[in-house]
Amino acid sequence: MDSKIGNFFESVGHFFSGGDQIPWCDSDIVTGCEREVAEAGKGSSDELKSECIMRLSWALVHSKRPEDVQRGIAMLEASLGGSNSPMQMREKIYLLAVGYYRSGDYARSRQLVERCLEIEPQWRQALTLRKTIEDKITKDGVIGIGIAATAVTAVGLLAGGIVAALSRKK
Amino acid sequence: MEASSSTPEFDYLFKLLLIGDSGVGKSSLLLSFTSDAFEDLSPTIGVDFKVKHVTLGGKKLKLAIWDTAGQERFRTLTSSYYRGAQGIIMVYDVTRRDTFTNLSDIWAKEIDLYSTNQDCIKMLVGNKVDKESDRVVSKKEGIDFAREYGCLFIECSAKTRVNVEQCFEELVLKILDTPSLLAEGSAGVRKNIFKQKPPETDASTSGCC
Ligand SMILES: Nc1nc2c(ncn2[C@@H]2O[C@H](COP(=O)(O)OP(=O)(O)OP(=O)(O)O)[C@@H](O)[C@H]2O)c(=O)[nH]1
Ligand SMILES: [Mg+2]
Repeated sequence: MDSKIGNFFESVGHFFSGGDQIPWCDSDIVTGCEREVAEAGKGSSDELKSECIMRLSWALVHSKRPEDVQRGIAMLEASLGGSNSPMQMREKIYLLAVGYYRSGDYARSRQLVERCLEIEPQWRQALTLRKTIEDKITKDGVIGIGIAATAVTAVGLLAGGIVAALSRKK
Repeated sequence: MEASSSTPEFDYLFKLLLIGDSGVGKSSLLLSFTSDAFEDLSPTIGVDFKVKHVTLGGKKLKLAIWDTAGQERFRTLTSSYYRGAQGIIMVYDVTRRDTFTNLSDIWAKEIDLYSTNQDCIKMLVGNKVDKESDRVVSKKEGIDFAREYGCLFIECSAKTRVNVEQCFEELVLKILDTPSLLAEGSAGVRKNIFKQKPPETDASTSGCC
């Protein structure tokens, strides 16, 4: 009975959301988070601002639009350098891993997931992501990393600037 | 190529949603239901989902169960996942009173604000009954709340798996009993919505899921 469910899982996952159990985020949610960040830019506390940015990063890396995912990755990389609690750090690394997974850079994504699991070995969402990446790697082989990585760097520089500008405004 | 979609592997697809304070055991319930496991989990980041197939009332069902983060900092994000749900499970922890009072203070209001489905079935779940000696919310209080709010009610434990299956089963049976929800969940209608290709879906006009 159980193994049957397991099989179902695989085929169903495919049909349901394009092959995995990582959620998608609709573009209107991204827009909503974007608005929040913009509003928080005007005189909110740093904590509130970083919460908004956190939600926006979540929305971006889960978005269906590749350009959103790239932007999410860039935002996260830019904010990794700032002061982060261990908890925030862990979340950002996880979201980065989701972003790289969605952009097809499975090797990089896997590296990041491993880092999450070093911090917390039993972390379910990270375990699910690792399993998803591994399935993908065995299915697709590891192609296209170079392309994705270049795109990331380019966009990274750009969006990094935007975030920096945003956080300076205060 | 179209073979798999012309013979759907289920009769109905339902979207269920888990909400409630952080730490009440939403993810644990889901894990217990989908893979018979229990462990110490970390708080959910954003939202998560699992798919489970069941056969109930002679129908093959596919359940897409969305698990939301209870932490307040994720609230604006999680609220967007209410739309299109046929069933909403509100979870509280029977050993923490604040998680119960927040049902009326927060969660019921969230449903009113964000659920797009008039007929959506709601279910109240008191979790962690294995910790009977720590209990501070009585079963009667749960029953009373459910009656007042017009929803189903069950007490369960993700840890011992007591009533976990019953919880989802009761909810789904009630959905199966509701013609408008049944129509939404039928495989034919759903097909287009869920054959989404990653790059392009216009959520603002779809009105569902
Ligand atoms: N004793 C006992 N502990 C439980 C039960 N269900 C969950 N827990 C524990 O409660 C803690 C929180 O459970 P989670 O499932 O992560 O809670 P959650 O509602 O998903 O929390 P968020 O993701 O932050 O919203 C974990 O340490 C679980 O092990 C239960 O039925 N009995
Ligand atoms: Mg959770």
